[in-house]
Amino acid sequence: MRSKVLIVDDLEMNREMLAAILEKEYPILEADSGKNAITMIQEHQDEIAVVLLDLVMPEMDGFAVLEVMKDHSWLKTIPVLVITAESKAGVESKCFEMGVSDFIKKPFDNAIVRNRVKNIVDLFAYKNQLEEKVEKQTATLKKQYKLLVMQAEKLKESNTHIIDILGTVVECRNLESGEHVKRVKGFTRILAEQMMIDYPEYGLTQEKIDVIVSASSLHDIGKIAIPDSILLKPARLTKEEYEYMKSHTTRGCDVLNNVVGVWDEAYSKASYDICRHHHERYDGKGYPDGLAGDAIPISAQLVGLADVYDALVSERVYKSAYSEDEAFHMIVSGECGVFSPKLLECFRKVKKQFEELNQLQNKKQQ
Amino acid sequence: MTLRECYEKLQADYDGTLGRLCSEKLVEKFTLKFLADDSYALLEESMAAGNYNEAFRAAHTLKGVSLNLGFTKLFEVSDELTEALRAGEKPENDTLLGKVEEEYQRTVDVIQELQNG
Repeated sequence: MRSKVLIVDDLEMNREMLAAILEKEYPILEADSGKNAITMIQEHQDEIAVVLLDLVMPEMDGFAVLEVMKDHSWLKTIPVLVITAESKAGVESKCFEMGVSDFIKKPFDNAIVRNRVKNIVDLFAYKNQLEEKVEKQTATLKKQYKLLVMQAEKLKESNTHIIDILGTVVECRNLESGEHVKRVKGFTRILAEQMMIDYPEYGLTQEKIDVIVSASSLHDIGKIAIPDSILLKPARLTKEEYEYMKSHTTRGCDVLNNVVGVWDEAYSKASYDICRHHHERYDGKGYPDGLAGDAIPISAQLVGLADVYDALVSERVYKSAYSEDEAFHMIVSGECGVFSPKLLECFRKVKKQFEELNQLQNKKQQ
Repeated sequence: MTLRECYEKLQADYDGTLGRLCSEKLVEKFTLKFLADDSYALLEESMAAGNYNEAFRAAHTLKGVSLNLGFTKLFEVSDELTEALRAGEKPENDTLLGKVEEEYQRTVDVIQELQNG
């Protein structure tokens, strides 16, 4: 608690006259020069309730003291009351401009000095207390906000985990390792980041890419509704079986529609688009809706290519793995799916990155 | 000699000072303290040394003290000298210091009378 009064005056008698007025109510500190006043304030910063300041002093005068106090931001918490015999015009307003709280001209009246000191001390005590409170509350708010951000981050993380688990469940039923989900995520991200740079017209951002990559785990979730006899058939599917197999896209959407409200809008839309349209073809000959060109959502285009690439370079029940080069050429030549020229342009650019990721994943699997 | 008689002899403002300082004891205490105050000595010294900035501050201090103690006459002459010294140069009017000296001496003499009872 601040309670002390610092009296700054080079003349002892002046200090004594002021001390005589105030010593009953406040502990008194005295400084006989501007320099000593600064030292004193530095040492007793949290104890001084008010400074009574003389203006005309040798070496460091009252204005210089005010200057230093201003530079140290002391004036915000320690009020200054100037007491002077100075009668020169403009001095009083200069003092107020420099931030003093009150100005008393000599000859002073003891009762008035006592009252003005009391007013200023009380006012600043109240002000300092309020500011301290606000500061504390702001700190608490900041802490809580940080916690919230952390929790949101955690929530997002566990959301991603759950989605990966869902995707993996489907893969496992497919008698695959579950690595497919991770690999498609990786290929999708590489391709999407290249698209973001080369073709800003798609409006991709790092944030949107994160959503697309995470939602890509669910692209085959509809396979959960395909019977084993079709899903696991180690031979070529009949026409009817193939038609049924194709329905995994729309069946996936049915599953997703049942979990409406769990995810935010961007997430729901991305997973729906990917699930439904990742087998569309740029020329309009894909399924289930026969969308053509950029009517196919960009998220589905990206995942579609990543899915095809991974299917080609991986071993499946019905086929052995193609080499990376073979897979690349099959996609670029239109032998395996038809993709947007822009997407293929990006695919060419990231060929090496795809291969690096593929090899890294293969190594992990071994 | 009473305090009031001392002030009357100085043509000083006793009632006003008592009103401001609130107690006769305080007025007496600081009036007697005035004898020990060396502002005037510093003023004389710095004027002699040609240090007019220092002289300005000393005159200013003397003015402030006499103002607060209600020493009207001493205030008037020291105020005049203070303003003449404000620029930090030798005052054009060279009678001002003499006037302050004369009044200071008279004040000190009267207060000494008070002190001696």
